[in-house]
Amino acid sequence: MMSFEYLKRRFKEYYKDNREKIPLVNLFNQREFGFIPWDQQIRMIRHMGFANRENLIQHLINNGPRHVYSSGSLYINPENQDMKKKGYQGCDLIVDIDVDHFYTPCKEDHDIWYCKECGKNGKGMVEKCPKCGKLKLKKLTWICEECLDVAKKEIIKLIYNFLIPDFNIDIEKIKIAFSGHRGYHLKIEDNNLRALSSDERREIIDYITGEGISFEILGLRKMGNNIFGFSTETIGWSQKINRKIEEILKMSSIEIETLLSDKRKFNLNQNFIENFLNYKNNFLNIIKSNNLNNWTLVSSTLNTWYNFLEPIVDQIGIEVDVPVSIDIHRLIRYPGSLHGKTGFKVQELNPNDLDDYNPLDEQVEKLDPIVFVSKVQTIQKLEIIESNVPATKIKGESFGPYKLGDTIEVPHHIAVFLLCKGVAKSV
Amino acid sequence: MSDIYDLVKRYPWLPSLKTSYSDIASKNPLDFINEIFTSDKSNDIKRRVLTIFNDAFSNIEQLSEYELDENNIYVYLILKIILYIINNKILSNRIANIYSKTTYNELNKENEYNLYYIYQDLNLEVLYDEQPTIYKKFVVKDQQEIFKTNFKISYLNYLKLASNLKDEYRKLVNNAVRQGYVYIKPENINRLLQEHVRMKFLTQNNEISTELDKFKEKLFEIQEFKALYDTITAIWESKKEEFEYTIDITFKEGKDISETFPPCIKEILSKAQEGQNLIHTERLFILWFLNSLKYPEDKIINVFSTLPDFNREQTAYQVKYAMKKGYTPYSCKSLKSYSLCFAKEYKDVLCLEGYFSRLQEVQKDISHPLKYIEVKQYRDSKKLKKTKNQTLDKK
Repeated sequence: MMSFEYLKRRFKEYYKDNREKIPLVNLFNQREFGFIPWDQQIRMIRHMGFANRENLIQHLINNGPRHVYSSGSLYINPENQDMKKKGYQGCDLIVDIDVDHFYTPCKEDHDIWYCKECGKNGKGMVEKCPKCGKLKLKKLTWICEECLDVAKKEIIKLIYNFLIPDFNIDIEKIKIAFSGHRGYHLKIEDNNLRALSSDERREIIDYITGEGISFEILGLRKMGNNIFGFSTETIGWSQKINRKIEEILKMSSIEIETLLSDKRKFNLNQNFIENFLNYKNNFLNIIKSNNLNNWTLVSSTLNTWYNFLEPIVDQIGIEVDVPVSIDIHRLIRYPGSLHGKTGFKVQELNPNDLDDYNPLDEQVEKLDPIVFVSKVQTIQKLEIIESNVPATKIKGESFGPYKLGDTIEVPHHIAVFLLCKGVAKSV
Repeated sequence: MSDIYDLVKRYPWLPSLKTSYSDIASKNPLDFINEIFTSDKSNDIKRRVLTIFNDAFSNIEQLSEYELDENNIYVYLILKIILYIINNKILSNRIANIYSKTTYNELNKENEYNLYYIYQDLNLEVLYDEQPTIYKKFVVKDQQEIFKTNFKISYLNYLKLASNLKDEYRKLVNNAVRQGYVYIKPENINRLLQEHVRMKFLTQNNEISTELDKFKEKLFEIQEFKALYDTITAIWESKKEEFEYTIDITFKEGKDISETFPPCIKEILSKAQEGQNLIHTERLFILWFLNSLKYPEDKIINVFSTLPDFNREQTAYQVKYAMKKGYTPYSCKSLKSYSLCFAKEYKDVLCLEGYFSRLQEVQKDISHPLKYIEVKQYRDSKKLKKTKNQTLDKK
């Protein structure tokens, strides 16, 4: 509770000190706003509207909320409590990429889980307790440069492999933001896209994730003992798949073997891998040719190819949080606001900023989401209240890991981060 | 190339009706009906309207006549007015299906110039490239099947037209998308237009019944129209039992298990009952599903009997084939990918939250519609046992 009061004060100060820097979202007064205050019980206050930016900033300074959201949708009456009476005018197309939803190897180091049923604990990304199989897990998820980099690469893939080449989206209409925690948001502000229904949005999301793909429709077929794959002279997903296969075939045999046997990726049996490697050079010629597509390997069946192609689709497709894109009444984090789980700023970015962007150690000051770095070196004393706290590397410096009861002295921005994470209290 | 007047005669649902035939389109429905039914065109139009209804009641897939003259415009408008006042979903679906299929076949006869103008008239962003683009190629041994087209449609227009159809061939992910366009053959655009035309007949009638009654009353003052309406409703009365077949789902004699069906099945059955056209995947799914539950052949066939293109002989053949093959119905994962999962819409707790497996002591997801039934039946049997025990305790 003490920490909440402290954090709320700090958040208020941030909004006061940065009132000119909080951006104005497009068509601001048609957006619905929502806030989560610093209460023990998480609750969302929504259906709020602001006539202008100044009113919003004043609200933020007065309340210092834990989380701040605005709608992707535009409404005539955004503050109306009844969704039907809000006067829906359309919704930006929003894509949320969050490392919570997919595996990254670094999670084996920094994500901790504890089973409330049997007491077993461990590290990594698990859905249920590997010992008792129950779902009652307490999870402590962390961030590091590696997993945020994976999320960033997904956003880059989304823009340059799908949005621009396939959907011809004007790059000027793409707004990106580091979410302040474990991922990135992408928003397309375009009147034509705003008119899309939920069903139509799902179709676009299915396209960029590869959901519902039919290898048969794209051309995979069995004739006698032969398997015929996709021709390179195509448009759409079959071409993407062929390019990915070509990329794999250009790898060294050892790299291919490692990739295809990786349990988290292909998990293919040794027999298939051996045949694949034996056939590698032939296959590369076939994949590059417009007129060849005999993919027959010794003892390969259509099923074997499905097992190979499905992970290929996963690698090409983008890992997105699907409901965010389909739900037209969803609220997303307001740019420039603070994320209550980290104390980091939701940082707006241009697509061109992405390549070198590193939220945990950003060199370009105006893009730096870590806002609680003191100009004078100040140290804050905290007590750890969680059994295990993973190491945190921010601004090139590592802190932790810590154990329950540890008393630590850390710089201000690390203190805010640990307090926001709920793993420490002020001493 | 035809001019726009000719195109509107052939396709009266085109937006240009309003400008090219403004004298017809701008009239209020009462004046319009009055004028038509007192003109010398009256007999021909009545005959054609009646033929369309008869065709729709006869389980045929194509209108027996479709003349491309000005009267075709009147027929279309009168059909819409009649369906509006009859306000019967089954009837509207039957007319919508047969009319739209005929439209599809007619569109496929058009040359590319006419098609281009039709697409433009519908305000679709369809482009025609002088040089055809190869967008798909199947190579099997020495044979090549090349898919090329001069047409491409904006993906936004494509989605508007295709998102209702929900079959995997029309999913965007299985189509050729590049630079904001879907490369597509005109017959495939025409298939999308078939759905567009179908929807034209299915506009929700939201008018309160007193208003509708008043409107009907005024229309019925036109004797010729009233006579046509009465003839149609009389035929409907005599036929409706065939179409308003209620699906009697009994599993084992005397036991109705339809209550234990998951939302995906309930949704398809309700569409079938209303006479809506089921897409291919929906048909396969319901067939495999009922077959898995060992439903008798005739009961499965009857489920399909309300569909606009129902053909008992063909359906019987397909049902027998599926029974012989014993295919398993789609899993929940597949149903989601086909957009046939309705768990959220029905707010079904079992689908959304899963169930607790006592055997494995874990909370499990429902991964298959048949598992859903198994769990429901298990729960029902437990409830029954509990009630019996309570009754015994009281005794």
